[in-house]
Amino acid sequence: MQRISEWIWELPQTGGMRVPGRVYADRRLMDGLSGDQSLAQVANVAHLPGILLYSMAMPDIHFGYGFPIGGVAAFSVDEGVVSPGGVGYDINCGVRLIATGLHEDDVKGKVPRLVDRLFNDVPSGVGSSGAIAKLSRRELEQVLVKGAAWAVEHGHGRKDDLERTEDGGALPGADPAAISERAYTRGQDQVGTLGSGNHFLEVQCVDKVFDPVAAAAYGLDKGQITVMIHCGSRGFGYQVCEDYLEVMAGAARRYHIDLPDRQLACAPVTSPEGRRYLSAMACAANYAWANRQMIMHLTEQALLHALRISPKTLDLRLVYDVAHNIAKLERHEVSGSSVDACVHRKGATRAFGPGRPEVPDCYRAVGQPVLIPGDMGTASFVCRGTDRAMTETFGSTCHGAGRVMSRSQALKRAQGRAIDRELQSAGIWVRSQGRKTLAEEMPEAYKDVEAVVGVMDGAGISPKVARLRPLGVVKG
Amino acid sequence: MADRPRRWEPDSRNEAYADLDHPADVFLEIWGDDLSVVFENALFALYDHIAELAGFGTGHEEVITVEGPDAAAVLRSLLAEALYLFSTEGFVAARAEIDVQTRPAGEVGVTARLDGEIVDRRRHTLFTEVKAVTYHQLTVEKTAEGGWRATVLLDV
Repeated sequence: MQRISEWIWELPQTGGMRVPGRVYADRRLMDGLSGDQSLAQVANVAHLPGILLYSMAMPDIHFGYGFPIGGVAAFSVDEGVVSPGGVGYDINCGVRLIATGLHEDDVKGKVPRLVDRLFNDVPSGVGSSGAIAKLSRRELEQVLVKGAAWAVEHGHGRKDDLERTEDGGALPGADPAAISERAYTRGQDQVGTLGSGNHFLEVQCVDKVFDPVAAAAYGLDKGQITVMIHCGSRGFGYQVCEDYLEVMAGAARRYHIDLPDRQLACAPVTSPEGRRYLSAMACAANYAWANRQMIMHLTEQALLHALRISPKTLDLRLVYDVAHNIAKLERHEVSGSSVDACVHRKGATRAFGPGRPEVPDCYRAVGQPVLIPGDMGTASFVCRGTDRAMTETFGSTCHGAGRVMSRSQALKRAQGRAIDRELQSAGIWVRSQGRKTLAEEMPEAYKDVEAVVGVMDGAGISPKVARLRPLGVVKG
Repeated sequence: MADRPRRWEPDSRNEAYADLDHPADVFLEIWGDDLSVVFENALFALYDHIAELAGFGTGHEEVITVEGPDAAAVLRSLLAEALYLFSTEGFVAARAEIDVQTRPAGEVGVTARLDGEIVDRRRHTLFTEVKAVTYHQLTVEKTAEGGWRATVLLDV
């Protein structure tokens, strides 16, 4: 590992690697990775055909399925590959940030009531379902094609929510025919549900503004109440990934792609298998956007009921919605020429800079909002995309804190403790379906999110705009 | 083996499987005197992570039949099928009867007769949403002592 700048470490190109690896980290985060297999995964990804510039990892890197979590890899559309392992099981797991017209004083003493109501109204936990009536096959196909717009058409949100969602809340090319019966079965009753594990719904307060100009553009102000939703495509997405891992294992053999790890199974982007995966993945991504749009609607209803205020006073407004697990066809400048790339972000966030047409009008001058959740006891961050991200990381940055402790270690650490009461004494009201999830997700099980975000800020990829402190959390 | 099929009890957990350290997911090590016990214990381990098993009775039966080129592939398919039944029907087994057929060319077939219950959120406690049974570090091997050992990683 060679340190090439304060924030960047390079894995030299050796053996079958087609490009070097690059990891964004400070010394302490890098030390924490020693002996971790995730660096070998960065090197493995560099073996895949058509990879451009570097196999990259963000400072929240940890071991993943084939590709590391926190990994960014772009492949030439003409010569490169697409891999379900580079996206992950929870396709378009992502984050939505909602601003309100409320100030911290407006919710003083009311946070428990708010959180209880959200816990009650937004289905969460293992296999959660039933936020809306079971969808017919035809209706579900509409969800897969239209994404967030499907929810808006049904009265669950406003049209301008779509502009403030990555890709307008729907990836093009979604083909319902690329979806298995099993995925349809798993998807019919989970729109509007949070799920479990690291997914959450959080009531927050803007407690620090780093970049007043960008914060103003995003409509964020110190003391303001925000709500963050973190979830994905639920069982539907898991099934799509499962289905296509099998397809890709066969495809990799057929196209004679030499894989250092079977789990990097992939197919050329332009092959029938590659195209079909992208069509199915788009369906799952759109499912996730519909899901978060629906949860935002349920959140609005829950807040109105709990606070007994008018929609005008609540003044709920979507700041932005980003995908953390996705592969997308994007155009990037590589060594002075424009290249069509298939960019895999697995536990990474798009961070497009000012002026890019993909960034909505209202934010185009300052760059795309980047949403980075931390653990439930610390803070989450709003950052912004930059030109530097466009030239260095295919417009990508980190996605969160990243785990440092296994779930079983966390459970051991939590023995004899009441994590909910510990958080409560820190001023954070938590409701969870299970004590086990709460213990597994304890703040100390995660890397220091300040350090992770600090690296990408220091490297000039995604400077900090604002910090959000949790007041109340619903955990699945 | 005469006492099988038995009801899965938390007390027998330490003889059936262990959680190996893994930063993000659930990495299982599973033991058994023969292949059928390994498969049975693997199902136990999966359900043990999904729900509080002590609260589950029997009465609802399901049968899973899977085949594959080797024991590891079959183990993964078996668990993936069980996870699918849980995800779609809410079915959690409280015990299993496993029949393993090994063919001359090495292919393996498994029939699992599961007896359990459909989740009732008012009575049952659920723990972790298992997203998938992965191919990562998926192994089924004979041990030096003559028993069997398997490893499987659940993405959670």
